[in-house]
Amino acid sequence: MAGRRRWITGTTAAAGTAVLLYFLPLFHVVPLEQAGQRAAAAAYDPVAFVERFWTGQLIPGAARAVDAAELVAAVQQDRQLARETHGRRVGLGGAYYYFIAGSGRVVAVDRNSVGLALCDDQQQVQVLLEAGPIFGNAVRDGTGLLDVNDFANSQDFNALAAEINRRIEQQVLPALRTGAVIGATVRFVGCAEILDEDTDLSPLRIVPFLVETP
Amino acid sequence: MLTNHRELLVRFQSLIALTLMVLALSLLSDTFLTPENGWNILRQISVNLCLSLGMTLIILAGGIDLSVGAILALSGAVAAGLLKNGVAVTPLEVQLQFTVFGAIVAGLLTGAAAGCFNGWVITQFRLPPFVATLGMFSIARGLTMLWTGGFPITGLGSDFGFLGTGVFLGIPMPVWISGALVGALVVLTRRTRFGRYIYAVGGNERAALLTGLPVNRIKLGVYTLGGLLAGAAGLIVTARLDSAQPNAGLGYELDSIAAVVIGGTSLSGGRGSVVGTVLGCLIIGVLNNGLFLLNVSPFWQQVVKGFVILAAVAIDKMSSRET
Repeated sequence: MAGRRRWITGTTAAAGTAVLLYFLPLFHVVPLEQAGQRAAAAAYDPVAFVERFWTGQLIPGAARAVDAAELVAAVQQDRQLARETHGRRVGLGGAYYYFIAGSGRVVAVDRNSVGLALCDDQQQVQVLLEAGPIFGNAVRDGTGLLDVNDFANSQDFNALAAEINRRIEQQVLPALRTGAVIGATVRFVGCAEILDEDTDLSPLRIVPFLVETP
Repeated sequence: MLTNHRELLVRFQSLIALTLMVLALSLLSDTFLTPENGWNILRQISVNLCLSLGMTLIILAGGIDLSVGAILALSGAVAAGLLKNGVAVTPLEVQLQFTVFGAIVAGLLTGAAAGCFNGWVITQFRLPPFVATLGMFSIARGLTMLWTGGFPITGLGSDFGFLGTGVFLGIPMPVWISGALVGALVVLTRRTRFGRYIYAVGGNERAALLTGLPVNRIKLGVYTLGGLLAGAAGLIVTARLDSAQPNAGLGYELDSIAAVVIGGTSLSGGRGSVVGTVLGCLIIGVLNNGLFLLNVSPFWQQVVKGFVILAAVAIDKMSSRET
């Protein structure tokens, strides 16, 4: 009798589980190749992302940049007001960013930077365009076009900065280095990361992502 | 008469402490006694509550489990990994793509299996629970690192995220889940034979053995349930963060033990209740929340929590000496 009852209980439980799993399957079986294609399509690819971002948002977004001469004048007058008016802060850190466009005359050139004077009567370097290896997150965070909350994790967001910097090094800086001769006029769009106002504002150190040389 | 008063005080110590804390914080902070903050506290304690419910059963049975935080991380990681990446069966050239339901079941089973392993080691090799679960702590942490490669598994989708961030009938899902588990465990401990056996084993293991209770099976069941509940906590954490973090649940075992002890469950086993643990979790939750609202440094919060735990254990010791 007890055995019969146990058999009935077991059979009922097995049938119930089978019905449950029919309506709520644990998994679906898909061919490995199809699964691989889906995973590749869904995977985050910083190179492809930056490719789209560069042409779709970054270059068109250059119109939002503040004029370099205007910013330099504003900084000379009142650093705090300039920061509040034109600067951009990300998170809780002390650093802030400027998104800058402008043109200037080349007055100094060295291995890793090109110094520009923004006015004709000026001989001093007012803006320093980075021309060597690019580090940091100036362009990623400086434009305000990218939001960390749109990314799944901080590694993806960091990979984005690395890819933007790599692209600048490979596609932007060679033209700057060859075209930047003393006296030539250089047009640029880029971002400045201000970590220390005493050293980073004068001259203004800019990571350019768009450069036009004669 | 005086003894009666003292007994009542000891019996309702957690409730009295919680009431006093709520009253004091209501006076000190304008934002404490609001419905939003109430739900906030309940949502925040839900993970610790799941862990503490399992810990209650284990401590009631005379044991301890130091691996629940690590099991939480492993269960969450397994569920997230299966949901995100599936399992490739290379010889058959197919991949098993897990559904949300499948990932949840896998996460729970992982927790239950780890808990069952704890119980098996403790009963078969007569290892002290402290040592056995410390071993599982390391095993589960290592397995989590191996499974995730040390990186978080993210982007689990809104269906899975509903478990941690969803709201049903105006109540957050983690509160539903932990509330349902509280109900189930109250019934288990008060209305079932298994529940009474847990108290018997924790109260006097030798006597329970001599009366013919299947002590090993009961302990195995208790540790398995503890693992299962840690798995449930892991799913809530993972769903809330939309990410399985390899180092999730660090230090959670201590919080859960604290909640159980503050709730009046005796560390020597056989005495305590699920409702007491709920109060213990609420006390810790209210304490954290209240101190945060009062702008007290998190470092001081830890100090205060430590003193509350010491006070709870001291009261427990004094009351057991008197009885």
